[in-house]
Amino acid sequence: MLTTRLTLGKYTCGMVASLIIFLAGGWLILAPFALGYQPYGADWTTQTVNDFATGIPVAVVALASFALFFISLIGSLRAGGILVSRPRPQAPVEYQPHVTTPLASVTSQSDLDKTLATLAAALAADLTARRQAGGDQQSDQQVEQMMNRREA
Amino acid sequence: MHVGDAFRRLVPPGSWVLFLFFLAGIWLAISPFAMTTQASGTHWITPTINNVAIGAIMMVVSLLGILGYMLFALRDLIREAQAKQDIERQAIELPANQ
Repeated sequence: MLTTRLTLGKYTCGMVASLIIFLAGGWLILAPFALGYQPYGADWTTQTVNDFATGIPVAVVALASFALFFISLIGSLRAGGILVSRPRPQAPVEYQPHVTTPLASVTSQSDLDKTLATLAAALAADLTARRQAGGDQQSDQQVEQMMNRREA
Repeated sequence: MHVGDAFRRLVPPGSWVLFLFFLAGIWLAISPFAMTTQASGTHWITPTINNVAIGAIMMVVSLLGILGYMLFALRDLIREAQAKQDIERQAIELPANQ
């Protein structure tokens, strides 16, 4: 039986690294004043300018990196069917004579069906190509039987 | 799966940003000496110690982030390949059992 495991560790690695580097960038901005090598009221020293010029881009880009990993995590959760995008708010309808199924469940079921159909088609094409290369002519019927059983 | 697709899954855009942090860490560590704010042959002053420490932390953390993501993504790729092989094996064995 095919089981699909959803692993979030890789995204956690990237997000934790980005967060630590964001904190390091913040510390670089504060360090000249916290460690006392930049006197108050005086012109900025070379070290202070360097720390600022490095710390601010590091902090900003670390936030962007965190966002990239977070977006990847959300995409993975959506692909795994854990997160379902909210249905868009629609204009209120005055009268609805029929009771319909919830839109979210219909949308997620439709997405799942499309994903499974794409996966099945890709596997069938792959098997067909391999067997045609080997000269086996019975593969199409076998694959169709397999697909019918999986759909059932 | 093509090699390019596998590479994109192993090295996402976030990992390239982490690599930039690795380069920034290198610059931070060598900047006191490159900008001659640290005199050679003397004890390290406070800004030098701070910059070298933060630069080393950034290098280590960014490398760990890149490698950690790569290892987890590689594990996922191996699992997917095994699952695909299982499906193919079942498709081959199914007619034989009938």
